[in-house]
Amino acid sequence: MSDEHREHEAPTVGTYVRVALVLSVVTALEVGVIYVRRLAPIIVPLLLAMSAAKFALVALFFMHLRYESRVPTFLFVGPLVLASGLAVALMTLTGAFLVFGR
Amino acid sequence: MPSGLARGTLEAAVDVPTKATCGLALTLGLGGCAWDAPMSTVAARSDLARDILHVYSIITWITVGIALVVGVGLAWVLVRFRDRPDAPRMPAQTRGHTLLEISWTIAPAIVLLVIAIPTIQVIFRTQAAPTRDALEVRVLGHQWWWEFRYPTLEVVTANEMHVPAGRAVALTLDGPDVIHSFWVPMLGGKRDVVPGRLNRLTFTAETPGEYRGQCAEFCGASHANMGMRVVVDAPDAFARWVAAQKAEPVEPAAGPAADGKAIFARSACVGCHTIRGVSSGALGPDLTTFGSRHTLAAGILPVTVETVAAWVKDPSALKPDAKMPALGLTDEQARAVATYLIGLK
Amino acid sequence: MSVSPSDRVLHAPAVAGARADTPSTVLSWLTTVDHKRIGILYGTSAFAFFLLGGIEALVIRLQLAVPDNSLVSAHTYNELFTMHGTTMIFLAIMPFNAMFFNFVVPLLIGARDVAFPRLNALSFWIFLVGGLLLNASWLTGAPPDVGWFGYANLTSKHYAPGLGVDFWIFSLQILGASSVIAAVNFIVTILNMRAPGMTMMRMPVFVWMTLVVQFLIALAFPPITVGLIFLMFDRFFGTHFYDVAAGGDLHLWQHLFWIFGHPEVYILILPAFGIVSEVLPTFARKPLFGAAVVIYSGVLIGFFGFGVWSHHMFAAGMGPVADSAFSIATMLIAIPTGVKIFNWLATLWGGAIRTTTALHFALGLVGLFTIGGLSGVMHASPPVDLQQTDSYFVVAHLHYVLIGGSLFGIFAGIYYWWPKMTGRLLGEGLGRLNFWIMFAGFNLAFFPQHYLGAIGMPRRIYTYRPDLGWNAANLASTIGAFGIGVAVLVFMVNAWRSLRRGAPAPPDPWDGRTLEWRTSSPPPAHDFDTIPPVASRDAFWREKYGPRRSAAGGAGAAGSASHHAAIHLPAPSHGPLMIALGLLLAAVGGLTHVALVAIGVLWTIWAAVRFALEHHRAPEHADQTGVLALDHRKMAMWVFLGSECFFFGTLIATFLAYKGRSVVGPAPHEIFNIPLTSLSTFDLLMSSLLMVLALAAVQRGDRRQTRLWLAGTAFFGLIFLGFQAYEFTSFVHEGFTLQRNLFGSTFFLLTGLHGTHVAIGVFWLLVLWVLDLRGRLGAVDAVKVEIAGLYWHFVDVVWIAIFTLVYLIP
Repeated sequence: MSDEHREHEAPTVGTYVRVALVLSVVTALEVGVIYVRRLAPIIVPLLLAMSAAKFALVALFFMHLRYESRVPTFLFVGPLVLASGLAVALMTLTGAFLVFGR
Repeated sequence: MPSGLARGTLEAAVDVPTKATCGLALTLGLGGCAWDAPMSTVAARSDLARDILHVYSIITWITVGIALVVGVGLAWVLVRFRDRPDAPRMPAQTRGHTLLEISWTIAPAIVLLVIAIPTIQVIFRTQAAPTRDALEVRVLGHQWWWEFRYPTLEVVTANEMHVPAGRAVALTLDGPDVIHSFWVPMLGGKRDVVPGRLNRLTFTAETPGEYRGQCAEFCGASHANMGMRVVVDAPDAFARWVAAQKAEPVEPAAGPAADGKAIFARSACVGCHTIRGVSSGALGPDLTTFGSRHTLAAGILPVTVETVAAWVKDPSALKPDAKMPALGLTDEQARAVATYLIGLK
Repeated sequence: MSVSPSDRVLHAPAVAGARADTPSTVLSWLTTVDHKRIGILYGTSAFAFFLLGGIEALVIRLQLAVPDNSLVSAHTYNELFTMHGTTMIFLAIMPFNAMFFNFVVPLLIGARDVAFPRLNALSFWIFLVGGLLLNASWLTGAPPDVGWFGYANLTSKHYAPGLGVDFWIFSLQILGASSVIAAVNFIVTILNMRAPGMTMMRMPVFVWMTLVVQFLIALAFPPITVGLIFLMFDRFFGTHFYDVAAGGDLHLWQHLFWIFGHPEVYILILPAFGIVSEVLPTFARKPLFGAAVVIYSGVLIGFFGFGVWSHHMFAAGMGPVADSAFSIATMLIAIPTGVKIFNWLATLWGGAIRTTTALHFALGLVGLFTIGGLSGVMHASPPVDLQQTDSYFVVAHLHYVLIGGSLFGIFAGIYYWWPKMTGRLLGEGLGRLNFWIMFAGFNLAFFPQHYLGAIGMPRRIYTYRPDLGWNAANLASTIGAFGIGVAVLVFMVNAWRSLRRGAPAPPDPWDGRTLEWRTSSPPPAHDFDTIPPVASRDAFWREKYGPRRSAAGGAGAAGSASHHAAIHLPAPSHGPLMIALGLLLAAVGGLTHVALVAIGVLWTIWAAVRFALEHHRAPEHADQTGVLALDHRKMAMWVFLGSECFFFGTLIATFLAYKGRSVVGPAPHEIFNIPLTSLSTFDLLMSSLLMVLALAAVQRGDRRQTRLWLAGTAFFGLIFLGFQAYEFTSFVHEGFTLQRNLFGSTFFLLTGLHGTHVAIGVFWLLVLWVLDLRGRLGAVDAVKVEIAGLYWHFVDVVWIAIFTLVYLIP
């Protein structure tokens, strides 16, 4: 995230289409890798990383966070991080952290 | 504008800490300092309760000390810095003091460290796995009674648990209906009975005696009526108790007791209760040695012919929503059954 | 641009303190959107519910005054303590706080109202519906009797078959909606509507505490909303969230409840801390000592408040590691709390203390909360807590912090701001009496309960045996409780006399420090004649006693007619009431007949659309850019999306926590159609592309393209829903239903709720499409399309997470 106030720099249609393309490719990859046996040991972090990348692309470009002041980013990312932490804590406390291994 | 400042100085003295102290004095006076009440949490009779009390004492003295410091500080400030309506001041507009802020952030942190260390130690010590020679007791919390099963001794009883003094007791807690909580304060803290989870509570009772407990997690209409007794026996007394639990029931003497047995055997009682040699119902407490117990209906009544008869006749009257139905017995029949049950030692 | 005839445009009167003519008819109160009136509505309702909760408490105490009592039956007693807790927390303390948020916060930041006045009114009417619905359960003979915390599985249909729990569920959901809507409103107001020069650190501490509380509300309510949805589905539709036999975990309810419940207690206390932080400086004539530190500690308490919830579960058997972690976290929170108390003491030190009633109550809070906080520190140690939890010790603790803390703070605020709100003064003599009787009564009622807990009295018991040593302390406690009742009566007399013939209040009766004292008592409809630029915290104090700048800095409101422009005041609206009634109808339907649910939902949707379009294209509403250079509506949407992160986070976490715990099949990998779901995922991603194209089109005023891309997005959304419908029906045909197993419950609820979000988005887009068709969506309305887009992209992003975490991960 750039520190600069980038409101005047607007993304072009071309940017949006490129993002959409990347999203499609990553989705296809995600579906693809689950069938690749050799990746099975690292499949979970791999999928999480790809998913996070898609999430970030939509947030930064489609939701315009890259081009806004920092206010919307804080308002969204703060709760997002907190919610993720709580979700992990909840899963750990209910003894579910084996879930990814099952 | 505010008025009534004539009473001001007196008010400043009769204020927060004084009232709190009065409250404390009142409480102690009212309580008569009866810290050894039957369910006292500060009269430890087991290793678990003792460990807890150790931490409890540390924290209590620390917190009382802090309360006094804050209270006295507040009182002093109020007296010292009263404004005089006839000579109003504009005080210096002090905004803060960094060193002070740091100090009174670090000081509480240190105090908490003093509390945290024994806390963590006791948590791990008291939740350690029980030793191999511990006596295993399975506790099942029902609405609104307690079932106790001793797998290694093949004993099943209800509402009154006997344990040997000086030997570790390893409770496993489970239940078929809702969440309850097993709490015998003199023998330690409480542990919830959570259906679907196996919770544990381990303690070694020290002093023979009879200890009172009660369910401590709201579990429905008669939550208040789900008491229990834990009897700590000297080892030989415990062995005798076990033997009595496993012995075959003696035939009741002719007369009311025999009548009572006959009524029991032909009534719906047999569908819910087990009396070895007579019935094998599994929904209600095992009554094989009912007469050896000191209380009735999960610790809420003493055992006499009158109370048992009243219970047998109309359980819901004594225990709201009790699952045991009234079977339409006459008073005489109820007394007969009561006599029979009390004879089951 | 034509001015809508329903708007009122006012020119500020030339004379400071003049009250604008506002009619006081019943209709004007039903349709008001004025924050001051809404504050009074909250306060009056809160007081009525407070009396109700107080009566419930007194009956409880009467029953417990002597052992083996039979004043009320066990059933009634259980209903009483359930309703007492729920009422006092949700219907008394929270709306009392809301009274202050509403009336005072805009004044404190030099604003003329909140960011969304009609939404503000909506929050109030929804709250009232929730409160009335909950208490209607008394009238049907089926109030909830499962405790305010309703632990599963006591709340299941099997163990609680009546309507009581259903009343409880629906009321809490409605009350939650009210609070979250208000939270979004106040966050935007505080961030975006501050007076010129009022930086965040120059805001009054009460406003800071309010801000933290609103974030807590926005983020803590979604978990309990989800927990209650699980319970509702278990009760109504046979799901298995809290079904042990099907593999459910009863701890799940406890976690979800306390993840909400712990932040909730900070929601209850932080406003009181804020009030004390205003009252003490005013009556010590000194600034708040260490104000920045007090602010930071409030923020820290709020943030870390999310990390301590399982200290309510130390007896539940979580294991030593979890116990230790939550113990340490809980102890850490004591530090910023203690720091606040020390700063308050330092504020008084060296001051010139005037002992008004407001100050008495504030000092009461300092002393009593110290006691309550310290007993809380005791509870932070699991070994000790194992003796104290579920006993009267913790009942003492919670009442020390909730009455000694929150309620005393509220009374301080009432005595402090009463002149500003009503234009009259409360009697100081009666005020002192009020305080001392309440203080004595409260301590007599609750201090002995520490002792009762220490000698083993469990809580939530309708009676007790006489031979346990609990008798005398219980009797004392009952007497004290009635003392509190007497104190409340004294207050009511004081209030009545003040309203009937109290001395009129000047604008600044206390020689205050903050901006609310700069306008008349009560303020005119437009709050301030002029809003001065702010140069520091305690802006008004600085204006009165600070360094003299140029006289034309806006000091004094008199004679500044030349500085004002036409002030736009928000117009009254029927919308909020209509929406609230629709929700009431739907909830009543949930308790009675599904047809009413349908009617209620349709009514609510209809009323909501009208509400949303009420001021569409009103010129005064076109530009809502605030202090942080962000449009109010955009900021509101971002805050709402933050809240939604918690909503979906909870659902996803539950799905993952329950994964693999189903007792019967099918399992995910046996039933999912990954290729098909990949297609629907791709479809949703592309819909986001279409959405940004729609936004770009509306921003450049291209109506046809706007309609094209909006329709396209909606169409792709419908395709997604079609895929989902196909998936659901094929699952059902294979025997995999909501009720089949734990996986069915978690899967269908998670994806079903997501699908509902998509459907709402589609509806929203179609409304925009129709507006555009009618020529009523131009470049000036771009922000409305933008926020629809943000919502849409968020729903897409949640699906990205679901697709990976639910479908793909093995």
